[in-house]
Amino acid sequence: MPIVVNLDMMMLKRKMSSGELAEIIGLSQANLSILKTGKAKAIRFSTLEAICKALECQPGDILEYKE
Amino acid sequence: MWTEKRSLVLSKCCVVAFMIMLAVAAVLAPRAFRAWVVYMPEQRMVYFRATVYIGLVPAVSLLLLLYGLLHRIGVGEVFVSKNTDCLRYISWCCFAGAAVSMASAFYWFPWCAIGVAAAFMGLIVRVIKNVVAKAVSLQEEADYTI
Repeated sequence: MPIVVNLDMMMLKRKMSSGELAEIIGLSQANLSILKTGKAKAIRFSTLEAICKALECQPGDILEYKE
Repeated sequence: MWTEKRSLVLSKCCVVAFMIMLAVAAVLAPRAFRAWVVYMPEQRMVYFRATVYIGLVPAVSLLLLLYGLLHRIGVGEVFVSKNTDCLRYISWCCFAGAAVSMASAFYWFPWCAIGVAAAFMGLIVRVIKNVVAKAVSLQEEADYTI
């Protein structure tokens, strides 16, 4: 899929662990891992909003289109 | 009160009952034919036995696949690719049974009706398989929507 999830990079910038982020946004570690590894087929606006709020970033910082 | 679980148990019981009937039919087939059709030439009797014993292979496979399918549904694995494959194999079993019946119509025409019925059943199962395959892809998409 040409959409790349740069969640790892953003978490590193904010110095936030997976467990911490999962707890803040109310997602299970397993689902967060699916998102991080690029296995996810879709992302809900509510999840994206929660991630952006927790990491203080824009959706474009997390999602990237690569050919 | 009738529940989904009871319905599954009943379906499983029916499959087991069919398996037992099939086993009994396999054992008693030669004698039953002799008692059933009085004026049957020996040559035709051989054909009848051949049809029954060759037909047993897809019939037993179908019942085993059906039992496996019901078991998976029972444990909550409904829209999984295993079930799609299972339904595909079941449809092939129906078509195999239809082919055996059609081939047997040369010595006893009524086999043709059984063949058409089996082929029609195979077609229905194939359509259901396509529906389940679509449901599996929708389920996967839902599972991977975060």
